[in-house]
Amino acid sequence: MSGRYQREWSVAVAYGVLLGTLAIAAPAFYTGDKVRTILVGSAPVLVAAVGMTAVIVTRQIDISIGSQFSICGVAAGLLAQAGVPMPVVMLGSLLLGAGLGAVNGVLVAGLGLPSIVVTLATMVTLREGLRWYQQGEFVRNLPPSFQWFGLGQSAGQWLIIAAALGIWLVGTWGLRYVAGGRAFYAVGSDLEAARLVGIRPRRIVFAVFLLMGVLTGLAALLHATRFADVDPNAGLGLELQVIAAVVVGGTAISGGRGTLAGTLIGVALLATIGPALVFLGTEAHWEKAIQGTIILVAVAADTFPGKRRRHAPTSLVKP
Amino acid sequence: MLPRAWSSPERKRRLRVTHEGVLLLLLALEIGVFSELGTNFLSTANAFEIVRFSVEIGLLAVAMTPVIVTGGIDLSAGSLLGLSAVLFGKMWRDGGLPTSAAALCTVGIGAMAGGVNALLITRLRIAPLIVTLGSFSLFRGLAEGLTGGVDNFTGFPENFLFLGQGYLLGGIPAQTPLFVAAAAGIWLLLHWTTIGRGLYALGLSPDGARHAGIPVDRRVGLVYVLSGAFAAVAAVIYVARLGQAKADAGTGYELMAITAVVLGGTSIFGGRGHVLGTLLGLFAIAVLQNGLRLADLPAELAGILVGLLLLGALSANQLLSVMGVNKS
Repeated sequence: MSGRYQREWSVAVAYGVLLGTLAIAAPAFYTGDKVRTILVGSAPVLVAAVGMTAVIVTRQIDISIGSQFSICGVAAGLLAQAGVPMPVVMLGSLLLGAGLGAVNGVLVAGLGLPSIVVTLATMVTLREGLRWYQQGEFVRNLPPSFQWFGLGQSAGQWLIIAAALGIWLVGTWGLRYVAGGRAFYAVGSDLEAARLVGIRPRRIVFAVFLLMGVLTGLAALLHATRFADVDPNAGLGLELQVIAAVVVGGTAISGGRGTLAGTLIGVALLATIGPALVFLGTEAHWEKAIQGTIILVAVAADTFPGKRRRHAPTSLVKP
Repeated sequence: MLPRAWSSPERKRRLRVTHEGVLLLLLALEIGVFSELGTNFLSTANAFEIVRFSVEIGLLAVAMTPVIVTGGIDLSAGSLLGLSAVLFGKMWRDGGLPTSAAALCTVGIGAMAGGVNALLITRLRIAPLIVTLGSFSLFRGLAEGLTGGVDNFTGFPENFLFLGQGYLLGGIPAQTPLFVAAAAGIWLLLHWTTIGRGLYALGLSPDGARHAGIPVDRRVGLVYVLSGAFAAVAAVIYVARLGQAKADAGTGYELMAITAVVLGGTSIFGGRGHVLGTLLGLFAIAVLQNGLRLADLPAELAGILVGLLLLGALSANQLLSVMGVNKS
């Protein structure tokens, strides 16, 4: 067990230590609705991280999800503002995400361009396009059916948490037991071998970007419905936050390896550390520095115990 | 028999579309369009303004070129710019150092921060994308922590601000010679030394380079240390230009620098690229931004066009190589 899932276990232990420390040093952390607030806040990140795990397992990367996230959130807000019923708003956000993901998919899988550059370009184009359209304005005057899906705060919060965990469960099952999910691993670990066993790598790569888009649309929806207005800058920096969580959770950037169990712990660890620091008496503005340290320690710890590769990985795409 | 020109190598050579050539055409096109549309666009004063505003991202971009040539990437450059700016301000205001000494120390610290990236990549064998993603958070986080998120260093002496705001003889912005020297240094290193050739070899095939006797770890270390030092230089110039140092200095600059490098024709997979291409990419973006502003067009168009240009350049490269026009 611990051999194959060593990273997942070590991150889980680290997270357990953090939770234990909090229980002893700052039990107030567990009282009130602090935990629920963290869960609700990290639900959109978890949904996006499920998609990103699949993308990275397939040996691709998508840094345009922050821009997609902002666009889908604003679009959902504008639709709701125009009086469209909530189910259609939700469908619209998912479809828009699918469309944006498909653009990346066509460019990467169809034209064979490197995904890091393609998504860098779409990230800039989409972000500036939204800025032009929206001029940084919040989407206001939303109908009461928008915030918390019209269910009220408590039920809405539980719905958001349940939706994110549901996606995570389906994703875990899909990546593990469904042929399509296994194909992501196959293409990510050896594209040529995958082709020889009858997988069509281009379709798989296109599918993973499409999936990423749909999940980004859903994540945007789960985020936007937490507030009374939609912030057009909600997705700024989301891509690196999500990639960091996935990597801390043990998914290899070189493709072919990673589990959603690890991703869940990675998301939880990075989401807990900020509030935890405040409860442990550290000033909140050190949060980012600690997060950076965690990322570096997590990936460094992997390579320490006698498993060091002989040569430096100079390439960002090859291991 | 076909006429000789149809099949001869000369014809092939004439058809060869160089990336730099296309960028030059693009730059000329931009200048042509904005001379018509913009007010006061076509003047030496405006040309110098464009240079002044591109120096910081330009420094990051020229140092990013060797990094990407080795097949790596440095996402931490913008964050390191922020950290260096804050450290510079702290050393000057709280440490009582003169600005020149503080600037030197800052560059030293920048090189060391680059060295941390290099150590993690070469000693612990972690992929550059991951290492610099971690230090991207770490450096920005340290800058935020050190300033408490709110501290802003201002009130720098006049003779220091001259570096960022002053003019030399003939209206040349004061930071220009430094940028020219830095770009020339990287150009010499990359294209005129055996070390530079080694970096290309490394980008094409790390194993091949190792078997050819190139000290791979030291070369990889060098490019990240250089990137760190250049980010610190950019920080000093940034502070001198704006007259203030905050923790959010240079946010997003790393992606702008990478965009300039890739638009300039450097392959993200390593092994191919040129500093001149990076400079052309940089100015293609800078002229676009400046021209749109002077033509009273929405500033967001610059980002949209840059993104589309990037995709266009990549697709064109791909199509040309499929058609066999450019064999590289």
